[in-house]
Amino acid sequence: MMRRFVNNLCASRLPQLRRGMFAVLAGCTALVATASAEAQEIQLTGPLAGAPAVRQLRLHRKGRVEIALGSSFTLLDEYQRTILPGLRVSWHPTDWLGFGVWGAYGISTTTSLADELQAKAIDSRACTAPAPDDVSPCKLTAVNLTRPGINGSTGRLVDDQLGQIQFVAAPQINVVPFRGKLSLFGALTADTDISFFGGLAIVGVQERKACGSGDNATACSNSFELESGIRLAPTFGLGWNFYPRQLEFFGFGAEWRAMPFSRNTSGFDNAGFGNDQAFPDTAVDEKDRQFRFNSMITVNLLFSFPHRVKVSE
Amino acid sequence: MNKARVGLLVAAALLAAPLTASAQPKKKDPPKEINLDEEEQPAAGTTGADGAGDATTPVDDGTGDGDGDAGGLGDICKIDPAACPSINMDEAAKRAINAEMYAVQQIYALRRFRFEINPYFGLTMNDQFVAHNGPGLALNFYVNNVMAVGVNGNFYAGLNAPSNFNFQTSRAARVGIPITEYAWNANANFTYVPAYGKFAGFGDFIFHYDLYVLGGVGAIASRPIAVVDPDNRTFEYKPRLSFHVGGGLRIFLNRWFAVVAELSDYIFFDELENPTIVTGRDTDGIPFAQKSNTWTAEQTSFTNNVQAQVGFSVFLPFSWEYRLPK
Repeated sequence: MMRRFVNNLCASRLPQLRRGMFAVLAGCTALVATASAEAQEIQLTGPLAGAPAVRQLRLHRKGRVEIALGSSFTLLDEYQRTILPGLRVSWHPTDWLGFGVWGAYGISTTTSLADELQAKAIDSRACTAPAPDDVSPCKLTAVNLTRPGINGSTGRLVDDQLGQIQFVAAPQINVVPFRGKLSLFGALTADTDISFFGGLAIVGVQERKACGSGDNATACSNSFELESGIRLAPTFGLGWNFYPRQLEFFGFGAEWRAMPFSRNTSGFDNAGFGNDQAFPDTAVDEKDRQFRFNSMITVNLLFSFPHRVKVSE
Repeated sequence: MNKARVGLLVAAALLAAPLTASAQPKKKDPPKEINLDEEEQPAAGTTGADGAGDATTPVDDGTGDGDGDAGGLGDICKIDPAACPSINMDEAAKRAINAEMYAVQQIYALRRFRFEINPYFGLTMNDQFVAHNGPGLALNFYVNNVMAVGVNGNFYAGLNAPSNFNFQTSRAARVGIPITEYAWNANANFTYVPAYGKFAGFGDFIFHYDLYVLGGVGAIASRPIAVVDPDNRTFEYKPRLSFHVGGGLRIFLNRWFAVVAELSDYIFFDELENPTIVTGRDTDGIPFAQKSNTWTAEQTSFTNNVQAQVGFSVFLPFSWEYRLPK
């Protein structure tokens, strides 16, 4: 604004004040320079100048060991849900960075889809081994659906072919970029933080044992048994934690976690033949594994030691 | 020559005011940018209360015992000596104070009497067979700072996508799994905001958020996808009564714009395809399989359409006046 005013003033004066042109020019030059200097001075600092965004921050993590007792619940399960009771131990050298390890043991339950398949596709059909030629569904599903009496199989999907997560151990790094507070109903308050974590998960899985491929392999129509194995997968997620003001050693929180890796949850022969290997090849092997995020929600009770919380300046 | 003097005088006069400003003492700290959103600068002693840390522990005592207070009192005494207060400051300092402090001293984004426009995109969370993803829009009016009434709607038509999982399961087990698709839904909702707060990011900047829950009633248009007998069966969309419950997190980027993440469950009784094909013909010789009253299952299915909704909110009007100063 000042610059525009000065320019207008200078423009209007110049034709009339030829003799004073140099003087006005000198004045205008000085004004422009001064106006610029004033614009710098507008950036004056207020009382908050230089102040940190947060004072008297309660350092719930710095220099403390946190033990999280919790349970994870898998999401978007197709045939089996897994509940993973577990423990996470973390140490935070700073309030925003920590190192820890999470371990959990998986307990699986069937979904309604698995129950429906068991009832309608196995129990009601009552297929036998070998599959009778005159019963079309039994013959067409001989590779994919278990029947009782085949090399010790029970005829139950959950015992013979459905994949599951047995355990997880995951060293991980925690980063806590966001600290805050929460007012609930305008009355209760709690400190909160949002943490992000990432690491490597060692996952114990159980899947249908490979069959139908290789020279000496058993035909899949005669092989329905589970086999355990270990998978390595990245794991990452984020958590939202709450720390009641009255209890310095206790908190609670929830996490969302993903462990993306491929596995065969159904024990079906879905792929391995034809274009893009998208058609069944009468073999169950690694080609039938499908990529899954394996996401889960965890609820935690948090205990921190030493029990006294420090406060920042 | 006189004109030259006049020119110099004019320039000198204009120079005088800016020079006065630039004559202010230099600050030791480097200049900071002014936060235009922070219209009022609080007193020096109150800075601590605005942090995301312990709101009940201000940095300084905030008593303001500088010249400003003394000068103000002196002015009153000069004007009307009888009204000049005689306060024993030592005694007053010992007085018990029942200070009422709030976790968030001044709510960053007031909602009272404001409209919220919330476009979002919904992602299916619980249907592995058919994805019902689609855009949606929510409109709310806040009758006070924590309660709102509004409507929302989702558009699914043409966006329903049967999954590979559905195909593979049907192929492997030789079973037909009844599936449905949706065209739209619309709901009237009541929203409650029980919690709000703020976060400090990296110990450097602060952003505000709130948590809300909502419930409502509406309708959803759905129809079965013919799987068992696609040669004979075609279905039309029918609206059905639905209920809506949900909750979400709103993070304010400024006082009128926020990003929103919500989890909503649309609950209704859905009509499924009849898993069996009725054989025979009626008296007119028409196969029962071609009569639409044989196409659907006798019983409806209790259905939860859970979807994650991610979008943003714009609050109107953009600004407001706080009732009390900070």
